Amino acid sequence: MASVSEMYDVTWEEMRDKLRKWREDNHRNSEQIVDVGEELINEHASKLGDDIWIIYEQVMIAALDCSRDDLAWTCLQELKRQFPGSQRVKRLAGMRLEALEKYEDANKQYDSILQDDPTNTAARKRKISILKAQGKSAEAIRELNEYLEQFVGDQGAWHELSELYINEHDYGKAAFCLEELMMTNPHNHLYCEQYAEVKYTQGGLENLELSRKYFAQALKLNNRNMRALFGLYMSASHIAASPKVNATVEKANVKYATWATNQINRAYQLAGRGTKENKCSVKAVEEMLESITMS
Amino acid sequence: MRMSIKLTTQAYCKMLLHAAKYPHCAVNGLLVAEKQKEKKKDSHSTPILCVDCIPLFHGTLALAPMLEVALTLIDTWCKENKYVIAGYYQANERTKDFRPNQVSEKVGARIAENFSEAAMIMVDSTRFTMGCYEPILAIYDHHENKWKCRDCNVDSFDDWCEAQKITSALLEGRSYESLIDFDNHLDDLRNDWTNPEINKSVLHLC
Repeated sequence: MASVSEMYDVTWEEMRDKLRKWREDNHRNSEQIVDVGEELINEHASKLGDDIWIIYEQVMIAALDCSRDDLAWTCLQELKRQFPGSQRVKRLAGMRLEALEKYEDANKQYDSILQDDPTNTAARKRKISILKAQGKSAEAIRELNEYLEQFVGDQGAWHELSELYINEHDYGKAAFCLEELMMTNPHNHLYCEQYAEVKYTQGGLENLELSRKYFAQALKLNNRNMRALFGLYMSASHIAASPKVNATVEKANVKYATWATNQINRAYQLAGRGTKENKCSVKAVEEMLESITMS
Repeated sequence: MRMSIKLTTQAYCKMLLHAAKYPHCAVNGLLVAEKQKEKKKDSHSTPILCVDCIPLFHGTLALAPMLEVALTLIDTWCKENKYVIAGYYQANERTKDFRPNQVSEKVGARIAENFSEAAMIMVDSTRFTMGCYEPILAIYDHHENKWKCRDCNVDSFDDWCEAQKITSALLEGRSYESLIDFDNHLDDLRNDWTNPEINKSVLHLC
């Protein structure tokens, strides 16, 4: 079988840089990481210098994702040898146990880390992941809430909690988590847009109006966010069609919806889609507007 | 008498590719069938053939706005192509969890409003292998506001041997890396959720 470097005509330095980029972007493209990382480790270990340890860690986690226990084990042994007694390596050993579904052993591993270092956030979060993997959503939510009382600045954790709440259809609490995130990241268009989606899902006129505002805010922060654009259209249309709004509000929302329609059509045209797709989107949007004003 | 449902290779294939592309996420999507011209008298004998599958989302499935957008756009696309949305599929986040949940029942019910014979399909990831030796779906029908599970076996396929062979080949070839779902489309409008390249690969292997 052809090697990665042969197939894609890349040098080992390019492979190493690709791995770094994936690490920085937190990409979960585990199969690719395994392909590139395994070759790098096997063929070019001596050239990597100290980079090799973080690569071992990255490849090990990707290997667990791909059920490559052989590769994960190899990486773990190298890391154990180099960093004996390290909590970080202990956590990786725990993750391997999780991958093998040996949750009791994994928990013991994390508990031993926490005994030595009660502030070890990684171990605490792995324990919560185990609860999630076991389908114990209520417990996972409770533990994560407790964790966040102590580590209030952990954005990844707030986001994880919002997702757990959404999966439980507890949209009010999910909104609260996203509010925390928006407060500390006022320029993040994704949090605005997700908040708007949660509000929209909650339903009711007030929530729809809030959702429209936050879709609009997300667009202000990033005018290429298609979800925000579609969301603005949907929320404005629904508000305009609501029997509870007065003529002024209705008019304003029809204006927003029309503006959004034009932006959506422009976006599709810019994307250079074939006319067939274009017609579809224009038609779909027109039909929607029609059906809403008719009701 | 309930009409039985049959899946073409293309429909089955794309469903499994979607699940394979995001093994750590829940995924969902729609199934479309050709629109029947008229209800024939002996219509109970003709099974509904789901000819294609439109992968929708991966990750958080329980939010409404983008789902509504997708349903509307795909509905229009269906009308242009003389299709009808005939079913919904979902693979849950946790491998061992293949029961329908609130999302699948809600979307399924919504589809059933427009198409009474709509099927809700859950993917059983515990039996998901590269070889695809057995069908890994559980098919549910809407009956008096409840979803009842019906047998899924090789008869639920237009041509099981072909479906097995081609799905397995595409999985081995990692075709799922290029599968586009509606989420990918929203990230970049140039991404085509009708997946013409994969459709071509399926045809090519037939």
